[in-house]
Amino acid sequence: VIRYALTRLALLLLGLLVASVLIFLTLRVLPGDIAQLIAGTNSTPEQVEAIRERLGLNQPLPAQYLEWIGGVFRGDLGSSLLTGSSVTSELAEKSQVTVPLGILSLTIALLFSLPLGVLSAMRRGRRAGTALSVGAQALAAVPVVWAGMMLVVVFAVWLGWLPAQGFPRAGWQDPAAAFRSLLLPALTIGIVEGAMLMRFVRSATMQAVGQDYVRTAAAKGLTRNTALIRHGLPNVGLSVITVLGLQVAGIIVGAVVIEQLFSLPGIGRMLVADVSARDLPKVQGELLVLTGFVLVVGFVVDLVHRVIDPRQREAT
Amino acid sequence: MLRRTALAATALLAAGALLLSACTGGGSSPDPTTTNEPDTDASAIIRLVLEPGNLDIRETAGAALDQILVDNIYQGLVSRTPEQDIVPALAEDWEVSEDGLTYTFTLREGVTFHDGQELTPQDVVWSLTTRKNTPEWRDSARLANVATIVADGQDIVLTLTAPDSSLLWNLTGRAGLILKEADTVDYQTKANGTGPFVLDTWRQGDSITFARNDGYWGEPAQVAEVVFDYIPDNQAALNAALAGEVDAVTGFDANLKEQVEATGDFALVLGQSTDKGTLAFNQASGPLADQRVRQAIRQAIDHEAFVESGQSGETLYGPIPSLDPGYEDLADVAPYDPEAARALLAEAGVEDLTLQLTIPSFYSTTIPQILVSDLNEVGITLEVNSVDFPTWLNDVYVNKDYDLSFVLHTEARDFENWANPDYYFTYDNPEVQRLYAESLAATDEAEAADLLADAARIVAEDAAADWLYNGASVVAVGTNITGMPSVNVNERLNLAELAKSDG
Repeated sequence: VIRYALTRLALLLLGLLVASVLIFLTLRVLPGDIAQLIAGTNSTPEQVEAIRERLGLNQPLPAQYLEWIGGVFRGDLGSSLLTGSSVTSELAEKSQVTVPLGILSLTIALLFSLPLGVLSAMRRGRRAGTALSVGAQALAAVPVVWAGMMLVVVFAVWLGWLPAQGFPRAGWQDPAAAFRSLLLPALTIGIVEGAMLMRFVRSATMQAVGQDYVRTAAAKGLTRNTALIRHGLPNVGLSVITVLGLQVAGIIVGAVVIEQLFSLPGIGRMLVADVSARDLPKVQGELLVLTGFVLVVGFVVDLVHRVIDPRQREAT
Repeated sequence: MLRRTALAATALLAAGALLLSACTGGGSSPDPTTTNEPDTDASAIIRLVLEPGNLDIRETAGAALDQILVDNIYQGLVSRTPEQDIVPALAEDWEVSEDGLTYTFTLREGVTFHDGQELTPQDVVWSLTTRKNTPEWRDSARLANVATIVADGQDIVLTLTAPDSSLLWNLTGRAGLILKEADTVDYQTKANGTGPFVLDTWRQGDSITFARNDGYWGEPAQVAEVVFDYIPDNQAALNAALAGEVDAVTGFDANLKEQVEATGDFALVLGQSTDKGTLAFNQASGPLADQRVRQAIRQAIDHEAFVESGQSGETLYGPIPSLDPGYEDLADVAPYDPEAARALLAEAGVEDLTLQLTIPSFYSTTIPQILVSDLNEVGITLEVNSVDFPTWLNDVYVNKDYDLSFVLHTEARDFENWANPDYYFTYDNPEVQRLYAESLAATDEAEAADLLADAARIVAEDAAADWLYNGASVVAVGTNITGMPSVNVNERLNLAELAKSDG
């Protein structure tokens, strides 16, 4: 396992390095630059040039890249050209919104998709099972934005139970208010992601039902349901863990959309704002961290798989 | 993809909101027990659309900075009202010599900056001189006619090389802001001015909070704090208003009037503005170099349709809006007449014309939709190229690589761009440039305005561009809020008189 982990880790680092080059280059292809944005629509080319020079945008690209990646190796992800604040501190601040939002979304998604997915598989062919699977199908097709809008209309505008948008200015110093303001956004992501997950759980469970080992267990005297729960579900769990790795990337994308919709000061909204301000050093730092995060999740999922699946353990 | 789903969501939400207003309509009326006295401990929350990238008032362009920072935080010797009248600020009084070459301002005494430092005449001299000599600072060129800036006791004396009818007005903007000499404040994220509000916190990507400046030299602010809540989306802003999370909503959509007024807690207010929906023509070469083709486009466009679709604003047929000096109704220059447009195109020998419209993506999709169908009517195919703002800046503003471009120009008194052949408008008429220079050199305001009006008529007759509409400031104001400005709020939002009652 350790040798496997080390190989994977090396691959991970290599992946990050490649990603850093790609991020750096694709951002440089974007038309328009921050100096022109600072100078605005009543500026002379000389003014823009002076700002460009001061911000160091006139250095050749390889030099800019080396300076950035060198900083990354020293633990400095760079800083904003507009405010001078460091990417690290900005990410730390904004993750106070996005990380709880992601965890809450994932929890909500798991809480209803796991039991309902298994249930709909076990009740398949019956009315409850069909209803559940049709419901999941419909929910998974719902655009996140639409789901969010409807939830806001019902719970914030209509019933007045939860805030329609925003995050308390006191942040987590007012935990109840902070939690309440994340509930609707998390519910929005959770329902849509959860519906997709539920369909997956359902099909994984159905597959398990048909497996020889479940049928054997049933033949040895267990009821079909007990056989499924004891012998089938651990296998379902394994596949769910794999999918969860992918789901995390989905939740990050969902957060970008949902933070706009709910005006939440999180990483997603910051990223969109920084791209439209062409604050490239900040954008590339943020993207690198997000990419790294997704890669690390994939790495952990692989490892966990190795460790808990006896079949893979023996293969090493 | 996102846009499409957003549209669908909007439609559904509108339906939901209708349902909702049916349920709650007429439910709440003002509580008779409230006093309606201003609550000086109040916190007023105002929705704004566009958050500044940083707060550097010296260098960073953008109305998002002027809107909140000028008047509220930073002040000049003089200021202007929303109606564009010039009023005293840090100068109690001023005098202009007969020949228009000497301006004498009397500086107020006992003014302090937010950090407690005293405002000295030397700070004024330093601020104006540094502004004039630092090209990277905004509007530095607006002080070009100023030869010397000296202090004489509390008097600040500016002498000019030539009369400048726009100088006082320029001093009400960035060009005239007074900073502390050699201040060490981090201008990008902090502020140190003399205004009625102090910058309290900036939570990037979320909100900016101003607190009352208790050491203010003038009438203290009526509210303890103002929170600018940046909510880009109008539907989200509507929800925030209906849920009672904001006290005023600027940059609103007049089409949502019924929804926001349904509960009786808000009233929609329309104010004039200097927002000019400008359809620029790249006339450097190609078919658009022909005045007849440009005139045909202008006459093919039904300008009333823009006012109708926005439920606000007015039609505009020339470069100067009604709030600015030199305004004149120029509707006669380009009346809506598709028949005449087709005739003009035939006369110019243009057939099967295909043009590209470059438009920043944050504007309503209604604008290109109307243009495409109106131009199609006279045989012009319009392809819409929706881009993000930095791309627009690069392609249109810097490289002048476009056929037609749409941008809402919000700046007041920006006629200078029509007299600048290097501007992205690509309009070069020596007669207009001469008239504009003469209007600047005029010592009499009425004379200056007349000269501008003459120049504006030529610009319109040349069909140098088309003006789709003169936008309005659309603000939804809570019924317990008074003193909320309603005129030209995209440019300036002076909150010195804002008050909130507990009613």
